[in-house]
Amino acid sequence: MKIFRAIVVLPIKFYQKWISPGLAPRCKYYPSCSQYAVDAISSYGLRGALMAIWRVVRCNPWSHGGVDYAVVQTPAQIQKSSTTVKGAI
Amino acid sequence: MDSILKPLYYAVSWVMTVVHSALGYILGKDSHESLKWTLSIVSLVIIIRVLLIPLFVKQIKSQRAMTVLQPKMKEIQKRHKDDRQKQSEEMMKLYKEHKTNPLASCLPLLAQAPIFYALFRVLNGIAHDHSYVPGVITPKLLLSAHDAKFLGAPIADSFLNAHITSTKLVTILLIAFMSATTFTTQRQLMVKGMPKMDSSNNMMAQQQKIMLYVFPVIFAVSGVNFPIGVLIYWSTTNLWTFGQQYYVIKRNPTPGSPAYEELQKKRGISDGTGPEVISPEGMSESENQSRQRQQPKKKKRRR
Repeated sequence: MKIFRAIVVLPIKFYQKWISPGLAPRCKYYPSCSQYAVDAISSYGLRGALMAIWRVVRCNPWSHGGVDYAVVQTPAQIQKSSTTVKGAI
Repeated sequence: MDSILKPLYYAVSWVMTVVHSALGYILGKDSHESLKWTLSIVSLVIIIRVLLIPLFVKQIKSQRAMTVLQPKMKEIQKRHKDDRQKQSEEMMKLYKEHKTNPLASCLPLLAQAPIFYALFRVLNGIAHDHSYVPGVITPKLLLSAHDAKFLGAPIADSFLNAHITSTKLVTILLIAFMSATTFTTQRQLMVKGMPKMDSSNNMMAQQQKIMLYVFPVIFAVSGVNFPIGVLIYWSTTNLWTFGQQYYVIKRNPTPGSPAYEELQKKRGISDGTGPEVISPEGMSESENQSRQRQQPKKKKRRR
């Protein structure tokens, strides 16, 4: 199951590494739709995929965007935010 | 999947035949068939892009609202100077709070995907499997569309199924054109059209590398599968994007972007306070910003 999720996420990761940086930023959300999809699918599988589709639909010209995590707090995020605090100090 | 998209194949074929026969009145009923079919694909792009203009206007309007947010954006940039992630997170929060967001979202791009795919199927149908072509394209039209050429290459022909060398040459030419327009458009948007984030030189270098090497490869790998007509669609829509963006960057740039400051300066010299020049407070703000922004850039270059 985990492997299947990793395979589904692979093209999104390819997009993030090789396509997205070549284009000007366009996503209205943080994290971006692609990162949201990676997080959602890795954590919730099929439900995550549906969440990701809904997120892309919500990211439209009428939306105001904002901060919207797929998973409330993953260990990686906790680590990230703690390093931010250190950096600020 | 096909049954869901069938109405779309029909719509695409219908638009093409209508334009084709309308052009018959100007170019002659049975002459200039190649030009007529090429222009029918171009018209398809024009129709789609005109339909998408309201989305674009919507985006421009929210970009204009950014003037008010400039001081706060500056503050965020200063506060999270070394953390781009945090910077963009705070920015998104700010946009949300003020119910305005200058970013385009993917929808305008994604909206074109089904049309693109439908054109791909219809042209492939014209090239190979005639039974597959929607009924609006009569046998006579089918024959003429099948023979229609763009710069000597049949518009329904694709690189991998090429019957003649000119298909290969025109594919390469169009892929080069698509790479060049994508490069110019994205570069212009990033360098001039966006409010400056604290984007490092490193990021710019990465962008340039991807646009110069990765995009042409991606375009080439996908482009060899597409009929010439699809590449014409793609090239035309790229050209439209560039024109649209060029106009906005020159005439109505996003507040806080380098293009905006250029325009402010130009207006300040030429006619002082035009109707579109913002309040003195805002003016000093943007001047202040430009002074502060240039410094880190210079430092980085020296390093």
